[in-house]
Amino acid sequence: MALEKQEHRPVAEKGEHIIARHLIEDDSIKEEKNLVIDGVDVSGRWNTFILSRVDAEYDRSFFREIKDTVVGSRINRCWQCGMCTASCTVTPLYRRFNPRAFIYMMQLGNLKELKKYIDVAWRCVGCYKCSQRCPKQVNPAEMMEALGLVIKKYFPEEVESKLKVDEDVKKIYDDMILGDGRLDLAKLHTSAMRKTGRTKELLGKIERDTIFKMAKDGRAFSILRLGKPRNWGKSKEAIENYLKNIKSIENSEN
Amino acid sequence: MAENILVIGGGPAGLNAATMLSEIGVKVTLVERDSFLGGNPKKFKYKFLFPDMQPADNVIGELIKKTETGSNIKVYYSSEISDFKEKGKKFDATIKSANGNETKTFDSVIVSTGFEHFDPARDAKYSYQLFDDVIDIKDLERMMGENNFVRPSNGQPPKNVAFILCVGSRDRHVGNQYCSRVCCTVSVKQAIELREHFPDCEVYIFYMDIRTYGFFEDLYWQAMEEHDVQIVKGRIAEITSGPDNTVVCKGEDTLLRGPFEIPFDMVVLASGMEGGPQSPEMSKKLGIELDEHGFLKPENVTLSPFKSNRPGIFLAGACTGPKAISDSITEGAAAAMNAYTYAVKNR
Repeated sequence: MALEKQEHRPVAEKGEHIIARHLIEDDSIKEEKNLVIDGVDVSGRWNTFILSRVDAEYDRSFFREIKDTVVGSRINRCWQCGMCTASCTVTPLYRRFNPRAFIYMMQLGNLKELKKYIDVAWRCVGCYKCSQRCPKQVNPAEMMEALGLVIKKYFPEEVESKLKVDEDVKKIYDDMILGDGRLDLAKLHTSAMRKTGRTKELLGKIERDTIFKMAKDGRAFSILRLGKPRNWGKSKEAIENYLKNIKSIENSEN
Repeated sequence: MAENILVIGGGPAGLNAATMLSEIGVKVTLVERDSFLGGNPKKFKYKFLFPDMQPADNVIGELIKKTETGSNIKVYYSSEISDFKEKGKKFDATIKSANGNETKTFDSVIVSTGFEHFDPARDAKYSYQLFDDVIDIKDLERMMGENNFVRPSNGQPPKNVAFILCVGSRDRHVGNQYCSRVCCTVSVKQAIELREHFPDCEVYIFYMDIRTYGFFEDLYWQAMEEHDVQIVKGRIAEITSGPDNTVVCKGEDTLLRGPFEIPFDMVVLASGMEGGPQSPEMSKKLGIELDEHGFLKPENVTLSPFKSNRPGIFLAGACTGPKAISDSITEGAAAAMNAYTYAVKNR
């Protein structure tokens, strides 16, 4: 019975039966049908463990690329003290978000390592605590923007599959930036609450007390007076033109 | 009657001590084991000195000139102290040179026998002398001094160079637990020079700690911020041969927690400083104490770092531990002052 089964077993596809898929690269597997070396038959599949688990090169062209961007121009300054990660708002929430390590990977051009962090690399909230505390003025907050740029450039497919843009939030965000030239955090907060159906919490006791307090000491009115940046109309027009151009370039490329 | 003072060793410390004593009218006898003055900086042809990159000749050449022209200085080249005896508060020393033995009486003695560069061949993991492209900082300094700034294996300019810090320092395995103080600064200085000489050559420094103390830190910042020298944290455990005539550094990146095996065109070992054979020799001949690191031991490291445990014998420069040339010169002056005071007191 067993013999019969073996006879009818279909021929496996190249590398199909290998379980540890992360260690192989299908294209590199060599299949030799009748290979005899020194009288020994060595036919079979070779190169099934070809991925090195050791870092074998530093890619400095990548470092230069980042150094040439405005946001990443100070990458050469970083000496890995970890002040950015220590002061980070996000790291306590997402341990894998580590600005220090990201900067190091960018310095050494270690894309293999960076790729593992595509899902969290975007978590920077832009509080700039790291940039304020950095002893070498590396400006890690903006370095995280450089990180976003390179990830988008080198791993477009992974970014597409791992990161979904919430169109509603994007619209609220865009309207705010374009309309007023600044982020209204209160407005962002309320719209987020509405979107998640937590409208009741918006006017809970804490919120009511805060509003009352702010109205009493005048802070509420100064916030209202903030308004738009001066001559915002011109900037708005320029940004809209820029966005339109980018869209038309993207469309023509597609 | 003028005082007679013996200075043993003609490096930066000894030269400065000798010239200062000569200027105040003291008769100085300078005993030098080599056939030239200037010590290690001269022997290994140091080219530019940190932190301000001034030519080494401005410093060492100046000291040598002053010593050679000093009216009160008698220099014995290729010589050594063959016999040393106490005579009351003074000392009788026999100087052995090509012209035979000569015994003189001295009021006090300054020992400035300096250091020896650690020989990286003693630590097999670095494959020094096995591969032509593995050199150390003194070799690179000499290559730069001779304007011969290329890969030893094929004479081509290197495309990437690795510096490895703490070679022969901070390592129980080779018996040296101390930090040699200047190798970090020398390495960043040479990294800058390499980058200036070969702008297309990438320079990496493998470190455990970078100890460019005091204002030498400026040089370290400059190396990173102006010359894009990349520092990588991790010590190198093995150097093997790689593809295309390269040498591979095997180590762990302790910041990424991952192993690496990176091929380089050239590896520069930042070998440290050792007391050398001369320190125990001096200790034996002059009856002064040796410390646990193989250097001469000061009477009190803080209060009198330039005094030996034996009254009348003073210490200056790197014979008491690794130090920068500027520190050696300072100690030479300090020891000169103390040796003179001792001589005058016991006139």
